[in-house]
Amino acid sequence: MNKTPLLEIEDLHARVCDKEIIKGFSLTINEGEVHAIMGPNGAGKSTLSYVLCGKPGYEVTAGSIRFRGKNLLSMSPEERAREGVFLCMQYPVEIPGVPTATFLKHAVNAIRQHHCLPELDTMEFLKMVREEGKKLGIDAEMIKRPVNVGFSGGEKKRLETLQMSILKPALSILDEADSGLDIDALKIVAEGVNALRDGRRSMLVITHYQRLLNYIIPDFVHVFAEGHIVKSGDKNLALELEEKGYAEFVREK
Amino acid sequence: MAGLIQKTELMGEEIPWLSTLRKQGLEAYQKQGFPGAKTEAWKYTKPRALNADDYVVNTGKKQTDFPSKEKIEGKADVFEPLPEGYGIYFENGIFNPAASDLPQGVEVLPLIEAVMLRGEVKDRLGKLVDLERHPFAALNTYYLQEGVYIRIEKNVTLKKPLIIINHTAAGRENLFFNLRNLIVLEEGAAAGLIEYYHYSSEVKSRYFCNVVNEVFLEKNSALRHYKLQNEAFKAGHMALTIVEEKSGASYEGFCLQKGADIARNETRVLLTEEQARAEVNAAYVMNGWATLDTTTDIEHLAPCTFSEQLVKGVVGGDAKGVFQGKIRIAPHAVKTEGRQLHKALLLSDTAEIDAKPELEIFADDVKCSHGAASGELDEEQLFYMQSRGIGREEAKHLLIEAYLNDVISKIRDENIRRWITSYAHSSAGE
Ligand SMILES: Nc1ncnc2c1ncn2[C@@H]1O[C@H](COP(=O)(O)OP(=O)(O)OP(=O)(O)O)[C@@H](O)[C@H]1O
Ligand SMILES: [Mg+2]
Repeated sequence: MNKTPLLEIEDLHARVCDKEIIKGFSLTINEGEVHAIMGPNGAGKSTLSYVLCGKPGYEVTAGSIRFRGKNLLSMSPEERAREGVFLCMQYPVEIPGVPTATFLKHAVNAIRQHHCLPELDTMEFLKMVREEGKKLGIDAEMIKRPVNVGFSGGEKKRLETLQMSILKPALSILDEADSGLDIDALKIVAEGVNALRDGRRSMLVITHYQRLLNYIIPDFVHVFAEGHIVKSGDKNLALELEEKGYAEFVREK
Repeated sequence: MAGLIQKTELMGEEIPWLSTLRKQGLEAYQKQGFPGAKTEAWKYTKPRALNADDYVVNTGKKQTDFPSKEKIEGKADVFEPLPEGYGIYFENGIFNPAASDLPQGVEVLPLIEAVMLRGEVKDRLGKLVDLERHPFAALNTYYLQEGVYIRIEKNVTLKKPLIIINHTAAGRENLFFNLRNLIVLEEGAAAGLIEYYHYSSEVKSRYFCNVVNEVFLEKNSALRHYKLQNEAFKAGHMALTIVEEKSGASYEGFCLQKGADIARNETRVLLTEEQARAEVNAAYVMNGWATLDTTTDIEHLAPCTFSEQLVKGVVGGDAKGVFQGKIRIAPHAVKTEGRQLHKALLLSDTAEIDAKPELEIFADDVKCSHGAASGELDEEQLFYMQSRGIGREEAKHLLIEAYLNDVISKIRDENIRRWITSYAHSSAGE
């Protein structure tokens, strides 16, 4: 099979506030693949996702990241998003005063513009949001409210998923998309994610629980501890971890 | 070397009371002198630059041709069409006769004509201004001539707002002009009034626009007063609006300042009888080296009066925003409510905010509050938007819009709100 690499991370080292968190992390994700990353609290999973998105304050000290062959590290956060990197955040940010619909419309049109597509007008945009929102149980009332303000934990995750469904990124990074979700919401979100799987789009799924991986079935599972991948396997590795925990991967303290 | 005080020929010199009033203005100004660093009310806003000696006082002699109504309104349509209303025009501070037709129940006269024709003007003009405390109002009184007299008759409700537009056109001289408006709403009358200050893009000279509005709101009358200060970038703009309210009257003021190099918009409200209420809201959006000042002084002089103020500013570059807000409650003004909130967003390290809230409460059983806060754009919010593909500058715009939105949304009239919004946003965050 002819595989096209989408994301290539090589020997990445990164720090936050002078503290080295990512230490020699390497991973290649090909088009269409779903990779899961599991690992103990504080291992650096969220840090990795922020580094991929270019969050200020996350400093790469060594290594490289290529996205479709381009140097991702030289791009601004918005350029990365326009190129197709999307982070479904563990803690989505509240933006008082900015209606969700306005925010989404700006995002959609910024990305369309980047791909030389005509901007959507308000009618077209609302139609799309209504259709995608319906699948995720997000009603029109919710998108009139300011971004994430007063949303329950589950609603925030659904809104993240809605954004993913309408922005259709080439690479979706899901950082604990399952946290705070009840079983039904989990299924809904997973369906939203699966709907994007078309054999070309790729996912990087960060989770603590094997349960999510019953719905979003990964091609690879990696154990992330102390700043890098310590073990890789297929979906069965997740079951193994569920049973044994991370003891064997974490140094005695 | 002429300075701000010059000998000029004004209309109406033959009317004794008017001459006396002008003389009082001159004397009050000379007594105070130009406000300097030691003047408490001008501690933060230093109008030094306005104390130039190359001004040409514009009293109308040189103003012979006036642009047509269509031309003025065409020029005014910068971002959004001007809201529909009854236009009253000034060119470089001089009354332009191209006024709109007016409906029944409203009278609009050039002030100097009203002085001659309407006896009641004598009883009102200058009555609200404390010349000794307001040097620029004293100057304005010395030069008193241009402006309008607006009277809304008893129980008349104006459907569309009156729109006073002053347009400053290009010229080689540095103009100094004074506008004085006298506005009377008789019992039960209701009206909207827009004041709009703008300029033609060719204006390169400095100019100084000095405005005083005296507003009398009789029993149960209601005025909605919106102002857009969009002066040229080297202009000075000083404005004092004094509102006197009788029982059950209501004043709803909103002022957006975004132009001029140095400006103060001062609103003084006298709530003289029960159930009088005032809302005094404002926004300022600025960059460069400007100093924009919003000063309020609300006096609760009767029981059961109500006031509310929300002022929000966005300051970038090396600019400085000033807010001085005073609420005074007289000893017998019980069961009164006065609220005030000022918030500012600083867009650069060199931007500055000076806020001075003052409460003087001499009565018991009142509800009074004030608050002030300033902050910067939230990096987490910016990153969140950027991570969705929204450019950083666009993201800033969205946050600034959101920031200003709660004060602009206080404007009840939708067309006016849209119009003001377009100006606020056009200059935000550049
Ligand atoms: N701004 C920061 N300043 C200092 N330390 C930080 C900062 N951000 C993260 N860290 C530290 O980096 C380490 C990795 O954090 P990160 O959030 O990436 O872990 P994680 O693997 O996502 O954990 P969890 O499973 O709990 O979400 C932690 O020890 C955390 O305290
Ligand atoms: Mg995490």
